[in-house]
Parts: sequence; structure tokens; C-alpha cells
Amino acid sequence: MSLERRGPISKGLPVAAVVLAALATMRPAGAAELELPGLLAPLQIHGFVSQGFLLTSDNNYLANSSRGSFEFSEVGVNITLPATDRLTLGVQVFTRKLGPIGDYRGSLDWYYLDYHWRDWLGFRAGRVKLPFGLYNDSSDIDSARTAVLLPQSIYPAQNRDFLLAQTGAEIYGYKTVGAAGALDYRFYAGTIFLDVTNRPTSPITVVDLDVPYVAGGRVLWLPFDGLRIGGSLQFLRLDTDLLTTGTASQVAVRIPATLWVASAEYTLRDFLFAAEYSRWLVSTQSSNTSVFPESSSTSERAYALASYRVNSWLQVGSYYSRLVPNVDQRVYPAGIQHDFALTLRFEVNRYWLIKAEGHYMRGTAGLSSSLNANLPLSALEPDWALLAIKTTAYF
Amino acid sequence: MRKAAFIFAALAVAAASAETTRSAYVVIVHPATSVSRLDRKFVEEIFLRRVTRWPDDTPIRPVDLGPDARARIRFSEDVLSRSVASVRSYWQQRIFSGQGIPPPELPDDAAVVSYVLSHPGAIGYVAAGAALNGAKALEVN
Repeated sequence: MSLERRGPISKGLPVAAVVLAALATMRPAGAAELELPGLLAPLQIHGFVSQGFLLTSDNNYLANSSRGSFEFSEVGVNITLPATDRLTLGVQVFTRKLGPIGDYRGSLDWYYLDYHWRDWLGFRAGRVKLPFGLYNDSSDIDSARTAVLLPQSIYPAQNRDFLLAQTGAEIYGYKTVGAAGALDYRFYAGTIFLDVTNRPTSPITVVDLDVPYVAGGRVLWLPFDGLRIGGSLQFLRLDTDLLTTGTASQVAVRIPATLWVASAEYTLRDFLFAAEYSRWLVSTQSSNTSVFPESSSTSERAYALASYRVNSWLQVGSYYSRLVPNVDQRVYPAGIQHDFALTLRFEVNRYWLIKAEGHYMRGTAGLSSSLNANLPLSALEPDWALLAIKTTAYF
Repeated sequence: MRKAAFIFAALAVAAASAETTRSAYVVIVHPATSVSRLDRKFVEEIFLRRVTRWPDDTPIRPVDLGPDARARIRFSEDVLSRSVASVRSYWQQRIFSGQGIPPPELPDDAAVVSYVLSHPGAIGYVAAGAALNGAKALEVN
């Protein structure tokens, strides 16, 4: 199998690339701090600009990748103000483009007020990132990890709008438990506001989309230095009204889901090992089963990864990730996807990095029909490869 | 004779190693801070901002040296049990997920001492032998 480019690279080099080039040539500097009057602590300003490139040997993955795509950009700027020693305010503006997702328009990615009453009890309100697994709340932070793409079985990039943050409230804390180590916990409840976007080629039109609730929590046990073990649980429901081609009346569909993940991570000096196992239970309840049938399925997701910092400018990482969208239909190739990844991360300087990552994929379960001419997943190339290159500047 | 030479060499290496560890950095706090000795794990939790208050409820204000400072590198490995780069990754996750911000990084020992003296509850570290100017040195177990 070869990573052969089959046509012209996607047009439209994103604005992010230009901004990235400008940032990378800036004199290195720490996070910007703006001194405020009185006793207020300095305002902290941080940001990042990422530009990636995706190329697949076969099939389109995340973008029109089979011919090479630069539609893989992220830009974020955040401001944090420690207003008092217990109260912190924060906001992040974020924009991205990943294939058909995103349109380069900035949006409030997260914002919160955080009242840190005690180390074992704090309270956040606003739009807060969801703690699910080890890395969900940092899944779009390229500089914080070795890999370009986190294991997509548990952290699917195309689901970011659904899974990254909720608008509501959260309580959190960190509690030492003597010789047993410490507990790190977060519990939340709220909703998720979603924009309705219909693809012209889709036979289904989404009229309305609503998440009446999302609630859950994560508890991590830190028994000794470097080890984190824990679990996350999330409940949510998606309500939508749909119009299908050839019907005049709307169909109301409710999709309750329960997601859980068991996690373990061990950091030893320059080594990092992590493994997670997850199941997502999703059912569909329909007001018109002849138009939109009811269903219930459980997906299985798992990965194991390792990374090593070779020296101050080079990190290597590798993982195996496995996705089974329906445990009752583990049929190769459309019912499963194995992902073997190898990453090199180069630190050009303290504020700029470049990553190159190769994936060998077996199976098509993680692909999207709509990105592949609406072909059924079973009709796509079952053995394929992905090359992902990404560069990020951050401060 | 060879055995004695080996033991002597091993002791010399151990002594040199211990001396290096001892002399790499000194942890300092504001002079009004009541503690004079801290557990290493507690210091780690302070610098990762998991623990934010002294036992008397005074806010803890940790301060770092710049990432290239020798004392920072040794402090990070000895106390935080991870490299400076790994600590920076930890803070990248915290910063961009809205979970917290790192301690300020100051350019040299004198700036850290000045910060610690002027901020009640402050804790920092400087290279061994740096002028403390009244900052209180702590023993870390």
C-alpha cells in the first residue's frame, strides 16, 4: 500500500497557516500578562494556532483526505483573570476547520466563573469542558500531547461539538486520602447547544436539535506519583425533529445515551503509558417507526498508547486504537476499525512544534459515508493508511 | 585491596551525588509562613496547584524559575518527579481546558526572592547559595 496523492490538494490555504507563520517568527515570549489596577492579579492571555495536513491512501477520513487536505486548522485565544484568591474568570474564543466541520468563524469555546472554596470543593458555572476519560477536556490542545490525533475510538475529532463542553455547572475537588494517595473528581450537569447544519446530499433534514440534559462525572485515583486510575460516566439525551426525503410530516426522534470509560495512565520521567476502555450505549426512540425505525446499540472503544521524550526536541509515540460501533455486529471491515499509529513530535522552540504521524488502518467503521460519495462502509477500501502532519504555535 | 578501592569509589560517588542534590536548590517561603519543613508530596501538589492553601488558610502563591534554569530542572525532577517539558505539557492541558494557570515564571533567583518576600504565602526555590535576603529556607523531606 502506498500513500499516493491522487489529485490536486484541496484549495484554500487557511488563514490559520498565515497566522501560524507570523506567530512562529515572533520572538519567543511567555504568556502575555496584563497588569490590572488595584489588587487584581495580572490577566493571563494564552493562545495557539495549528495547521494540519491529512493524506490517505484510500477513502476520505475527516476531510477530503484521499487527495490531500489542509482543512485541518485550529485557532484559540483565552483570557484568565484570577479576580480574587478564590474566584477566577475565564473565556476562550476558538475556531476550527476539519473537513466539512467548522467554518473559521470564532465562537466561545468555553467560559466560566470558578469559585475555589476549598481544595476539596470548588464550583464552576458557564460553558465548561466535559471531563470524560483522561483527555477529553484537552483533546483539542495539540501542544499537550504527542499524537496528532488522539485515539479516535474514544476521542473522535468530528464529535467535538457534541462531546467537548457543556453549558451548566460543575463541582470539583482534589482530596488527599493519606497513604492511599489522592482523589481528583468532577461532577457536572447542564446542556449542550448545537447548531443545526444540514448537508445538501443527506436524505434527512434536521429541523430542530436539542440536548435537554447532559450529566456525569469523573473520578481519578492518584495512589502514587505518576499513576492515575479512574472512571467516567456520562448521561445525555439528544432530541431532534427530522424530515426525510419523500415525507411531509416531521418525525420526532429521541436518542438517550450512556457513555462510560475506564482509564489508567502512568507517567515515569519521560515515559507515558495510557490505556482506556469504553462503551457507549445509544438507543433511538421514534414517533414514526416506519419512517425512522427505533434501534439500540452498544459500541466498544479502546486503546493503549505509549510515548517517550527522547530529548528536549524530540518525542516519539505510538498507539493501537480499536473501534466497534456495534458489539453485535463485529463484522470486518464495516463493523470494526483497528488503528495503529506512530508519531514523531519535534519542538522547534519552546513555542512551536511540528508533528508527523502515520496510521495503518484495518476496517472502515470509523469512516463517514457522506465523505465517501455516500457509499456504504462495506464498499470502501478495508486496508488503508493515513499520513497526518501538523504544526502548532502556542504561547 | 581491590574490594576496598571499589567501596571507596562507591562512597565517593554517593557522596558527590548527595552533595549535588543538596546544593542544587533551596526551597524558600515568605518569612511569615509558619511551616519550616514540608513533605515533598505536599510541595509537588503546591506547584501543580492541586493544593492552594496553607494550613492557616493563607493562599499559597508558588513561583517558578524559567524553564532553562538549572535549579528549575533539578527541582522539577526531584520534587515534581517529571521533566520541565512534562510539567509544561501538564500546564498546557490545564490552561487550554480552563482548569487553571501555572505559577508565574521569573527570570532569576533575585526575582524569585523578591517575589517571595513581597507576597505573603509565596513559595519558590532558588539555586543553592543565592542571597535569600530574609526569605525563609524550608527543609523538604
